[in-house]
Amino acid sequence: MEAKQYIGEGWKHAILIIGAIVVMLPFYMMVSMSLKSQQEIQSISGGLIGAQETQTFPVCVKTGYSEETCTMKPYQYNYWFAFEKAPIPRYLMNGVIVTLSIFIIQVLVALPCAYALAKLRFYGREFVFSMVLFCLLIPVHGIALPLYVMLAQAGLVDTYSALILPWTISVFGIFLMRQFFMTVPDELIDAARMDGMGEYAIVWKVMLPTAIPALLAFAIFSVVAHWNDYFWPRMVITGNRDLFTPPLGIREFRGGIDSDEFGPMMASIVTVTVPLIVAFIIAQKRFIEGITLTGMK
Amino acid sequence: MHNSKAHIWFIAPAIILMIIILIFPLFLAGGISFTDYNLGNKTFEWVGLENYDKMFNRKTYVKMIWATATYVIVVVPISVVLGLCAAMLINSLRFGADIYKTIFFLPVMATLLAMAIAWEFTLHPTLGIVNSFLANGCGGVREFILGFHWLPWVDSQESWYAAACANNMDFPYWLKQKNTAIWTVCFIGIWQAFGFNMVLYLAGLTSIPRELYQAAEMDGAKSTWEQFKLVTWPMLGPTTLFVVTITTIRTFQVFDTIEILTKGGPSKTTYVMMYAIFEKAIQQNLTSIGAAITVVFIGFILVLTFFQRYVIEKRVHY
Repeated sequence: MEAKQYIGEGWKHAILIIGAIVVMLPFYMMVSMSLKSQQEIQSISGGLIGAQETQTFPVCVKTGYSEETCTMKPYQYNYWFAFEKAPIPRYLMNGVIVTLSIFIIQVLVALPCAYALAKLRFYGREFVFSMVLFCLLIPVHGIALPLYVMLAQAGLVDTYSALILPWTISVFGIFLMRQFFMTVPDELIDAARMDGMGEYAIVWKVMLPTAIPALLAFAIFSVVAHWNDYFWPRMVITGNRDLFTPPLGIREFRGGIDSDEFGPMMASIVTVTVPLIVAFIIAQKRFIEGITLTGMK
Repeated sequence: MHNSKAHIWFIAPAIILMIIILIFPLFLAGGISFTDYNLGNKTFEWVGLENYDKMFNRKTYVKMIWATATYVIVVVPISVVLGLCAAMLINSLRFGADIYKTIFFLPVMATLLAMAIAWEFTLHPTLGIVNSFLANGCGGVREFILGFHWLPWVDSQESWYAAACANNMDFPYWLKQKNTAIWTVCFIGIWQAFGFNMVLYLAGLTSIPRELYQAAEMDGAKSTWEQFKLVTWPMLGPTTLFVVTITTIRTFQVFDTIEILTKGGPSKTTYVMMYAIFEKAIQQNLTSIGAAITVVFIGFILVLTFFQRYVIEKRVHY
């Protein structure tokens, strides 16, 4: 019996390891290419990190740098040259600005509304809630075209507003927060009212602190979705590099896939992808919770 | 009760934004789809159903429906089944479960666009490790397994693998060939989606009470398969329904991989709806056609979600 169980466990690991290898393939390729020299990439040699021989890089010299500047190890060169060629910090900054603005506005809009729906009694509450439920059915990517037409008519294409505005309302956020606020005891709110707190103060000083765990999950859900989103920025940002979010930056790096060197290109892609992955590995549980949030009804 | 009017200020911003950003565009898309309006035009004319007529009769759009349907029909079932299998395997492990969970969830987290480019290189005919792995395996175990030589009806001289080996290592250019492009894109879709399903299934599995398995065993369901049929599968009903719906909706919206890897080609075999909307309406400025596709697209999604929420959900809870 014991032996049989061990064999069973072994089989399971064997299958899962094969799966894990397939899943990790592109990650391996990405990291490996960002470290190796062009020759090693083209001849598929050098394993994961390549030989790392110090050398002079011809493309770099052609671009106008001195030969001395262009002599270094492949991994140094790839990452250095990636930052020379494209304003990567700018792209990352834009990513942070857009995702944070979206999240903050979403909370500013959703939290009071959720509080009103959960704890205040007023005429038309049921109607507003059914409106929220209906809007939950609408995929925002699906209505991208009419939104684009509206933004274009307003002259907002190629602005930060275009990147942020369509996402300012998160009906899912309202729904989630309402469900959460329903579980907060009325006594807590009554006590706050007795203390002379106004409704605004109650939302931000009483309800917000109780909602921190749910908000954190929602934050991860929202930030990951918008950091990775490519479709919407691709629609509304046409050429202005200053507004590029990380995925648009990635697209630009890939532009010269036929002529350019692959090392620096992959180095830029790794740089843009890594922040989220590192955050994920550090706070795995929270991330999985946040991203599968839609599953916890 | 309190006499404050605060609620008006609390709900007004949300209501206004819902109307402008979510509800009005539905009508706008519907309206534009019956006109010949293109962005930048000063005037437009009503053309009735002309745009829809084009959509269902022109070859391009028929191919679009085909590509979208193929993608959804392939990716949804496979990523759901893989998610379930991975969850069950991981759930039954004695050690190492967390590592696999992290690895399988990575594709869900990582920027899809970046990963699409990484796959492009992984599958590249001269630079990629996949084709070099295949080429190095000619005449060996890899050829036997991946060429399906172990199936009795496959001739070991004629399999796709043997043919490629014999023909100067002519392995497919996965993303550029008409007969492989859509399947390759599907593969990347599955690769990205199944980890998400796995996590939902893992949550579902942990909520199944242990006693049910003991009861099943007493009833004579001894083998793993019988227990799965009797306990696991029925108990996972609600999870499965949810997983299938959400995967379908996400799959319908595929865009990133198509735009960066195939641009809908070769010969429109990967021309999915979201990409069609983008290409027609944004790149070619054919707004009205794009609006018609949008309406059909939203129709699909609304029907699906509605179906899940109001029709089936009431029946699968045991």
